[in-house]
Amino acid sequence: MSQSEPEKGGIKHLYKILFGNTWAMWIGGILLGVGNICLFIVLKPWGASGGILNWGQNILNSLGLVKFGSAEAALPAVNAHPYAILCFLMLLGAFAAALLSKEFALRFAPIGEIIKGFIGGALMGIGAIIGKSCTIGGFFSGWPALSLGAIVFTVGLVIGTYAALRYLLFEMEKFPKISSGKSASFLAASTKRASMQPLIGTILLIVGIIIALNFNKAGNKALVCYVLIGLFFGFVCQRSRFCIVRALREPFMTGESSAPIGVMVGILVSMFGFVVIKFMAAGTPKELIWVFPHFWLPAILGGIIFGVGMTLAGGCIVGSLWRAGEGHIKLWASLLGMIIALPLTAKYISPPFYKALPAGLKQQIYLPHKIGYGGALLVFLAIILLWYLFVRWNEKTGKFSAV
Amino acid sequence: MTINADHTLDCSGLSCPMPILKLAKEMKKIEVGKVLELLATDPGSKRDVPAWCDKTGHEFIEAAEDGGTLKYYVRRVK
Repeated sequence: MSQSEPEKGGIKHLYKILFGNTWAMWIGGILLGVGNICLFIVLKPWGASGGILNWGQNILNSLGLVKFGSAEAALPAVNAHPYAILCFLMLLGAFAAALLSKEFALRFAPIGEIIKGFIGGALMGIGAIIGKSCTIGGFFSGWPALSLGAIVFTVGLVIGTYAALRYLLFEMEKFPKISSGKSASFLAASTKRASMQPLIGTILLIVGIIIALNFNKAGNKALVCYVLIGLFFGFVCQRSRFCIVRALREPFMTGESSAPIGVMVGILVSMFGFVVIKFMAAGTPKELIWVFPHFWLPAILGGIIFGVGMTLAGGCIVGSLWRAGEGHIKLWASLLGMIIALPLTAKYISPPFYKALPAGLKQQIYLPHKIGYGGALLVFLAIILLWYLFVRWNEKTGKFSAV
Repeated sequence: MTINADHTLDCSGLSCPMPILKLAKEMKKIEVGKVLELLATDPGSKRDVPAWCDKTGHEFIEAAEDGGTLKYYVRRVK
């Protein structure tokens, strides 16, 4: 598979750096962290479940199956909801990045895997509504938001991930047929002749920019930013294969530390900006942004259910979006599962569940309000340090790694 | 370089983490010194397979690409 190396410093060499090899996850972490701060400056931090919830509500509404929205509170259209737009552009950005890297192909996994994708997506939908968070709102953005509930939600994610990983290992031993069987791959880029993929990818990037220009013409600057940052996020996630499932699962699988460290970097960069924004807005409602009223029962419950779902699916909501953009049909099934489960859980399960909960079990706790900004930062930094030391030690000793 | 594999494991269509989980399981079944050919379509395998070999001490011989199928050749070392 040897090709002549392009001359260093030229455009071909730059193209190879950007689209030849996968970027390190920590690079993805830095870029996503910076983008996350920008989203918070524009409107609110990075989140994913809210966007797919809006997709689901609109789809089920237009199919006439379930009614969402009312005369008093109309359902925002997908092209007016900032997070619905963000999620769509993440999908588009990942699709473009995959094409530019010639990594796109329609990949049909065996039917057992596709079913697991759907079930995983549905569980993520349930977990995200019960827990009022997902891996972004309750972890990647939740920790930088200094929410105590986010720590509990993350513990739930780890428990769910571990349980589902043990299930996958068990399933491979006892029921190997589920992950075996007919699979197919179409439209992969040829290695023998020039591929159309980079051209199509370029066109898609231009489409994304045109969408931004349209919002600019309409005077909606916030949505211009959400479009461009969404496109950027999808692009970065695909290029760096940024995966929170991997970050939480890898210590129990191969023991490699690159994925957890990549996520840690992203959280730290986000935290830097978030803390400055919130500190300067002390005493205003801005401090409580992305601090959800789920401490502690809904957080642990939602986290566990979401953790199981994402490990079965092979990607969280963001992971499903960028892998769907890369052409993995299993993750299309995951998106379908969450598109159905998110709105139905929000309409029928969440309201009675939260109504039955005593106030003490569904608190909104912003840690600086309890122990000050210094104290809260110390707590989160200490947790990240312990996590780092654990993953490094585990990488060396393999104590918790199964494979 | 033509490599004669003793076994083939087809992980086409599977996405993360399945190719690595199956690779780990299959490597335990083959004899020490034998070569396994892994077929995969997940682009993530380009990073994952050599990294797993590095971690477990098995020999990563070569990677090749044929259309959309990635081929990895790994020798069981221990």
